[in-house]
Amino acid sequence: MSVKALVRKIHDYLFEIPPQGRMRVPARLFIDERALRELTEQSSQEWNALEQLKNVATLPGIQKAAMAMADIHPGYGFPIGGVAAFDPKEGVISVAGVGFDINCGVRCLRTTLFRKDLEGKEEQLADTMYQVIPAGLGSTGELKLNTKEIDRVLREGAHYAVSLGYGREDDLTYIEETGRLPDADPSVVSNTAKQRQLAQVGTLGSGNHYVEVQVVDQIYDAEAAEAYGLELGQIVIMLHTGSRALGHQIGTDYLPFLDKATKKYGIEVPDRELVCAPIDSPEGRQYYRAVMAGANCAFANRQVLAHLVREAFWKALRVPDTAIETLYEVAHNTVKFEVHEVDGERKRLLVHRKGSTRAFGPGRPELPERYRQVGQPVLVGGTMGTASYILRGTEQGMRETFGTALHGAGRAKSRRAAKKAYPADEIVRRLREQGIIVRAHGKASISEEAPGAYKDVDHVVDVMCKAGIVARVARLRPIICLKG
Amino acid sequence: MIVRRARWGAAGAAAEGERGAVPYEYLEHQADIGLEATGATLEEALSDGVTGLLHLLVDVETVEPREEVPVQASADDPGALFVSLLNAVLAAIDLHGMFFREFRLIRVEQEDGQWVAEGVLAGEPIDLGRHAVEIEVKAATYGGFLAEHTGQGWRFRCVLDL
Repeated sequence: MSVKALVRKIHDYLFEIPPQGRMRVPARLFIDERALRELTEQSSQEWNALEQLKNVATLPGIQKAAMAMADIHPGYGFPIGGVAAFDPKEGVISVAGVGFDINCGVRCLRTTLFRKDLEGKEEQLADTMYQVIPAGLGSTGELKLNTKEIDRVLREGAHYAVSLGYGREDDLTYIEETGRLPDADPSVVSNTAKQRQLAQVGTLGSGNHYVEVQVVDQIYDAEAAEAYGLELGQIVIMLHTGSRALGHQIGTDYLPFLDKATKKYGIEVPDRELVCAPIDSPEGRQYYRAVMAGANCAFANRQVLAHLVREAFWKALRVPDTAIETLYEVAHNTVKFEVHEVDGERKRLLVHRKGSTRAFGPGRPELPERYRQVGQPVLVGGTMGTASYILRGTEQGMRETFGTALHGAGRAKSRRAAKKAYPADEIVRRLREQGIIVRAHGKASISEEAPGAYKDVDHVVDVMCKAGIVARVARLRPIICLKG
Repeated sequence: MIVRRARWGAAGAAAEGERGAVPYEYLEHQADIGLEATGATLEEALSDGVTGLLHLLVDVETVEPREEVPVQASADDPGALFVSLLNAVLAAIDLHGMFFREFRLIRVEQEDGQWVAEGVLAGEPIDLGRHAVEIEVKAATYGGFLAEHTGQGWRFRCVLDL
């Protein structure tokens, strides 16, 4: 039977594949007809997102459904845009549900500047950002740590960066988990992982990582915008990066470790990348503690980068660091214990988010007091030529997706196809005509990340909002984009 | 269905026909990239995979093979060894602060139930002013995993996380 014939429409923005074969729960997709058509057209390809989502639905202990957000596209093991929650007693923890870039996420900084304050100074700011912020393969940060100090990064996350003078205490309030996960254990992170990271704290990386200076060009929700401190014409900065080489190495180290555990516990997985361990096993607990350490590394990395952004604004424009505050930071490659309602009962679950963002609705105790009434800021990165969005989590999202939403536009073209279709010089010229300045350490990252390589972010956000999972607060337009 | 694409490394490995088969190929993936390596022997297939990885990261023509560093990997089976070896090469870039142009496999053996590969990478310290960087690869994964041993030789495949 074709995949399309298996799909059941729940409403215009929610489709479901009922359990079949070894699926324990349905696969649910928060998409529209157009996206469904594209996904089913790709379903004959070896690596396709629908098959990956169905595979996730076979994992032991999965709750409610394997879900995908509107930016779904193929990953490895899990699809990107996926979320899956597991019962802590019967469920599993999986490398593919987190990814190799552990705790990759987005920090949004709001400034006291407005568009007119940057007029005529954009080039100068872009050049300074390029000089100050290390980016691209092979780059190293100004922070050179020894392994003892790396252990502190892994235990203390963003707090350690602040203690070294990178950023301020008040940044921490507005970071998911306040920038430190307490279950981190550096002793279960390999020496290779630590050695790889000694010079990489405070580096952006490459691929889809970026720092963008943006302007608020539309406000949709005045109450939430006020809570978030956003105004029309205001300058904000988004930075997107993760746990760098340390996170990559944790994934690398634990892939064969969980491969063994999968065999040991007799877990049948339809794809070797879905190797996993019972959450309630020595292997599962060890991987969890390692992931928490990797997550703290990402928190520290973004904290140092936020400091470097402030440094660039000071050097280029003499803007003091007090004029740049953290609006919020939230990650989209995570695994965490959270309490959610399942069949009318509040349950502690292990939630994997792979390329999907935590999007908690109003009232959740995890949110900073300032945002608790309106819901969590959900940061959605567009492309260097299109809008980004600040959304807010909703109560419906809490009920339907374990408080999870999309994380970006979602790739539409492969990197190879994008590289062929979008010559870097041409993209830079076209963006300049739109008033967007691009600085990149490698031409490949411009072509591969060209706006045309991604889905239409406005449409993808629209689908998630119409599904009721998130609500729009503000739209942001890029002015300067720094890439690896 | 896999859409096959030509190599895009600057120099590339041996051209089709020279050894009777394309030694490595990059496979289309919407977000990442697939790497497939073939060889008449296990040693060849592993070496071809590493060469394919090196050509993906940087234009190897801009890297001089001035220094050599050892690289080692071990795994439960030959397919996992392929993934493990690729990851060991990625780690070597950060551990030594070098880009590499060449790889020479010294030995592949089964020891106490484990498959072990040892080789040497030749390259030089990273010089971002001179080395033409292509793309950062985060890790080799078990996504799209394939390990095949036929009368023709060995074939390995996995998705690289970009």
